[in-house]
Amino acid sequence: MKAILALILLLPLCGALFQALLGRAASRRPAEIAACAAIAGSFVCALAAFILGWEQSFTLEFFRWIAVDNFVIAADVFFNPLSSLMALMVTFVSGLIHVYSVGYMREDPDYSRYFCYLNLFVFSMLVIAFADNVVFLFVGWEGVGFCSYALIGFWYSDEEKASAGKKAFLLTRIGDVGFGVAIGLFFVQFSSTSITVINANAGQLTAAMATAMGLLLLWSAVGKSAQLPLTVWLPDAMAGPTPVSALIHAATMVTAGVYLLMRLYPVVALSPDAMTAVAAVGVVTALYAALSALGQRDIKKVLAYSTISQLGYMFLALGAGDISGSMGFLLSHAFYKSLLFLCAGCVIQALHEQGDIYAMGGLRRFMPGVFWLFLAGAVSLAALPPFGGFLNKDRVLAAVFGNPDPVFRVFFIGALAATFLTSLYAFRLFFCVFLRPQAETVHDVRPVPGIMTGPLWPLALLALSAGFLNFAPEWGGGAWLPRFLETVQGSVAHIGIPRESERMIAAVDALLALTAVLLAFVLYGPVRLFGVRGPDARQPARGGLFSALYLDSFYRSFIARPFEVLANILWHVADEKGVDRGIIRSAEIFPNLAAGIRFWTTGKLSTYLGMLFLGFVALLVGLTVTFYLGL
Amino acid sequence: MIATMNEVLILSGLVFILGAVCAAARRNLIMILVGVEIMLNAAGIALVGASLRWAVLDGQVFVIFIMAFAAAEVSVGLALIVFSQRRTKSVNADSFSLLRG
Repeated sequence: MKAILALILLLPLCGALFQALLGRAASRRPAEIAACAAIAGSFVCALAAFILGWEQSFTLEFFRWIAVDNFVIAADVFFNPLSSLMALMVTFVSGLIHVYSVGYMREDPDYSRYFCYLNLFVFSMLVIAFADNVVFLFVGWEGVGFCSYALIGFWYSDEEKASAGKKAFLLTRIGDVGFGVAIGLFFVQFSSTSITVINANAGQLTAAMATAMGLLLLWSAVGKSAQLPLTVWLPDAMAGPTPVSALIHAATMVTAGVYLLMRLYPVVALSPDAMTAVAAVGVVTALYAALSALGQRDIKKVLAYSTISQLGYMFLALGAGDISGSMGFLLSHAFYKSLLFLCAGCVIQALHEQGDIYAMGGLRRFMPGVFWLFLAGAVSLAALPPFGGFLNKDRVLAAVFGNPDPVFRVFFIGALAATFLTSLYAFRLFFCVFLRPQAETVHDVRPVPGIMTGPLWPLALLALSAGFLNFAPEWGGGAWLPRFLETVQGSVAHIGIPRESERMIAAVDALLALTAVLLAFVLYGPVRLFGVRGPDARQPARGGLFSALYLDSFYRSFIARPFEVLANILWHVADEKGVDRGIIRSAEIFPNLAAGIRFWTTGKLSTYLGMLFLGFVALLVGLTVTFYLGL
Repeated sequence: MIATMNEVLILSGLVFILGAVCAAARRNLIMILVGVEIMLNAAGIALVGASLRWAVLDGQVFVIFIMAFAAAEVSVGLALIVFSQRRTKSVNADSFSLLRG
């Protein structure tokens, strides 16, 4: 078992090392095969570990990393159903995305750098999935942050893309500060940074300390998962290659925040205030991002805001106290969102890097395969019954409804509204891209290679079916996922709400989603109904929804701008006029002082000799006088 | 005739002052070198006188050393003068004033 777990982690790392050291020397084909093989091997090992370690929980130590007195940090893994499921999902999705990348990057000369970062990313993500020590986890946490930065700015010669990478890096660091403080608090409180120890002893914490820890963990998760108020980096992160957006900014890295809260759930769950805060952040973000997604015109930006919104649902489920609902949502979101992103990548490449959905339309005729795949993704995203996404969302809504805290009633209504919006923007996207009358800008559609559409079919299958893992017993399902996760600390297998309410929630949820699809059909559908004019590519891109409720410009004018002004004052006034001028002025004193005595150095030998003798004579006279005066 | 210690020292001092004035007042590098030699010899006279006065041979030994030292110094000094004369076509000490402040 130890060997299998080590292999899961080491294969992607070796792949990254191979790409870094030999990738340039090897030609394109071997480098691609090595990159995909590393992840495929890791997936096979993860599958083996998943089967062999069914329903088991144990901790394994690979090696001691730091050991000073009682401060011990080991590279150790904590294997339980949650982490094995996460690792399985990460290796599966990233394996498919690696294969897709071979097609997507087929014309890029920098393939070895790309696959190096991608493999390194998978390694770091698996460290997050397995790490038992929060410091070891932090290594993976920062590793995915670095890879995200490097891959967003992958085409670094483009100034805009490079600065999008910097923005993502800096904003996620704001969250990481919270994580750093939380690690310090853990060590002070538990004298250990092992998650197993922390979770086992969480009960000893005082209420205030538990709230502080919960909020700090929430803050770090907010940064990583792009929740309010740190959402603004994720839409800009779409500057990276599309497979990167699918892997890092939809399926895996952004879910690391939610996953962290799941791992440390016993600590977070101690404080009702922290739990409410988690749920509140989730529901507000879900609503905010769904609204913003409605106003976007770039296909990838719609999906980016959608990701933020769906992550909000995961936070909401977790805040409502339902780990398995959140995990189920995370899994099925990983499948359908990466599917949608990869389809978007096909569309963008087919249309020669065109991303504006209003400049698309009628693509069904040109790419029927991608059409069906995208439909599968959109149906799952919109949570239409009876597919997977619906069942997951139902479980989340039931968990929120079942929470006894009255404020969760408000959250429930918010979540329902977000459901409606989600369905609306999902089908707005679908209709605009594939079914609207073809825009005149669409011509010369490039064929997409089979290696890019092939990996999407298993994703589509899983996207449609993954939700059945959460199939509630009320409907005759087995609730397999909640039962599988039953051994995870804090997990509840069954949400105790009456059967009638459960059915009511499902009915309302389904009705809202279907109404939104109809509304999207009226507004953006293939035929003009009720004289509604469809959107036009010539329309200027602006407005509150397009600017995501001006959050970005708010940060720019109220945080970045004052900072810039202050920096300018410090630079021009304090530094140039204060420090620099002060030093130059004080340095000018010395030449003036020196001017008074420089005539002494004539450069003439005779003068120096004369002075030497004069001094000698003065010395002798002095000695003589003192001798005769008897001093 | 027997010279007293005082007379020897007065002679030595006079010779030394002559050498010093020669070294300080003249501008010709060779004459400066000659002045330095005269000062060294003045010191030699004083040492010989002291050696006689206390009947210790060390002073005379020292004079031998000074002579050897003076010979070496003159050879190096003359070589430098020849070299600088080649470079600047001059043996005037005042023309070497690169270190003027």
